[in-house]
Amino acid sequence: MRLAYYPGCVAQESGKELDLATRWVAKKVGIELVEFPNFSCCGSGFIDEANPTLNVALNARNLAIAEKAGLDVLTVCSTCQGMLALANSRYTEPKIRERVEGALAQIGMTYSGRTHVTHLLQVLTDEIGAEAIRRQVVRPLTGLKVGAFYGCHLLRPADRLRSESAEEPHSFEDLISALGATPVFYRGRVMCCGFPILFVKEPTANRIAARQIEDAKSHGADAMATPCPLCHISLDAYQNKAEHELGHALDMPVFHLPQLVGLALGATAEELGLPRHLVSTDSALRKIGGVAVPA
Amino acid sequence: MAAATIDAPFEVYRFDPAKDPSPRYQRYSLSLPPHTPVLTALLKIRAELDPSLTLRYSCRSAICGSCAMLVNSKSRLACQTQIGPEIARHGRIVVDPMRNLPVLRDLVTEMRPFWSNYRRIEPHLIVDPERPMPVDKPTTMTPEQVARFEETPRCIACAACYSACPAVEADPAFPGPMALAKLYRFVVDPRDAATKQRLVKIQPGGLWLCLRCHLCTEACPKGVRPSERIMDLKELALQAQGATEAGSRHALAFKDNIRERGILNELRLVRQTSGYGGILAQLPQGIRLVRKKPEIRKTPKEIQGREEVEKLYEILDPEEHS
Repeated sequence: MRLAYYPGCVAQESGKELDLATRWVAKKVGIELVEFPNFSCCGSGFIDEANPTLNVALNARNLAIAEKAGLDVLTVCSTCQGMLALANSRYTEPKIRERVEGALAQIGMTYSGRTHVTHLLQVLTDEIGAEAIRRQVVRPLTGLKVGAFYGCHLLRPADRLRSESAEEPHSFEDLISALGATPVFYRGRVMCCGFPILFVKEPTANRIAARQIEDAKSHGADAMATPCPLCHISLDAYQNKAEHELGHALDMPVFHLPQLVGLALGATAEELGLPRHLVSTDSALRKIGGVAVPA
Repeated sequence: MAAATIDAPFEVYRFDPAKDPSPRYQRYSLSLPPHTPVLTALLKIRAELDPSLTLRYSCRSAICGSCAMLVNSKSRLACQTQIGPEIARHGRIVVDPMRNLPVLRDLVTEMRPFWSNYRRIEPHLIVDPERPMPVDKPTTMTPEQVARFEETPRCIACAACYSACPAVEADPAFPGPMALAKLYRFVVDPRDAATKQRLVKIQPGGLWLCLRCHLCTEACPKGVRPSERIMDLKELALQAQGATEAGSRHALAFKDNIRERGILNELRLVRQTSGYGGILAQLPQGIRLVRKKPEIRKTPKEIQGREEVEKLYEILDPEEHS
């Protein structure tokens, strides 16, 4: 399977571990990642707030680049997935399409509106299939209870994104089961992590993250896992701030989706960039019988 | 012939703050046709099994907006939610009062916080006294003008969106999705003379706390799509006033940031949004992060074809072009 790899900004910068884990897993399950150094940022929802037409145009440019190469786009970030898919939806509105097509023409590009955008979660569960992944598991994550945390833009608005049920999705939990771990169902799994207002009103953002981590914990989760590096920032990098808002410790390891898959498929902690996390993943690794963690 | 029935196990939240030390769930077993609305089932419980069950309802037809509650933890109109699919998915029906509002008794919530947030946005036309609306003939609008607020008048003020909103839950400064969707409706109404004042007034602490999580849009039983109306409001607020606070500054800073390299410059964004003071405030956290993620300090490499991105900005974002 060949796909245009759209890593998004964070996986190329502070969330580099997501890129490492994605490349490891892709190789293992047979996804060829075709790279495009001319992909731009998806706008992360912020450009959509400031100028929605520009936001569609930036993403239509990305989608046009993949279309020209004859490839579907693979994302590893719920927000990138949402923004690119939303651009496809908005591109069908005649007024927006006219302006965006006109702008693209001025940079010598055309876009049909038909580039398919898929998140790694969807590729693993829908195209490769949870059963095929299960057959590749060499280190079953038996005994590890994992709370999936989807990230808003992978799910909603469901009608525009044509995503699975926005309120009761199950693809991530199916995958967690296939890896040998036990999925934990809790309300927060489809909620917001608070990231969009982390730089607007940090204590409120921290309280929202705290709420979801605590919800996962109270339902018995040993760890959380997310297909969105922005959620990962809220849940992992700023977990200390969430703890501060709550007034007590959470100590919740948070995996990026391909890190969890990579663990079950035999990768080392270092290959998956686990030492880069702010909250140690050691407690989770011990549950699955230990994975060598470099000092 | 009676329709086939299914077993419908209910677990209903019961709480009388005047008498009960804590809430409890009460179980009721019913056998009903799968198309039965949850509201009908609750009324049957009250009529036949337990007259003490307290709930609020009126029209039973998804018009009055009285019977919003949580059905298997989702904010829903009880009259519009059938028991069949809920039982198929969850094996039972758990009914709770709405979130983000105090419980008066059982499934009835205190609506005052919801209504006071609604009042905050002055939900009525504000007419220019110099140009009063004619009383002897109708005021006309073009189809294009009407189309801008097609969805918002469908709102029945049921508060399902308010109950579903994580920003309301975390911060009382946020007026909630319904109030903001209604505000949008007046902002784009050509008869209203207070557009700018409304946009200026809503910004501090209110508008920019929306998380764009779209939970309100999923919860809304009427297709008002509050989160999308809030996105529209943000754009209009920026046009009316520019960046005046952290939220609007962040949106504009992010847009400028991407223009520079085509890819996000994380460290620079903090300064663009919060100034050097912001960098200083973030310093202890920044040091923690950089220790584990040293790339944060580096300036990312410009994307290939950055000039194409620049051109798109020039064409579609001209007011920012210098």
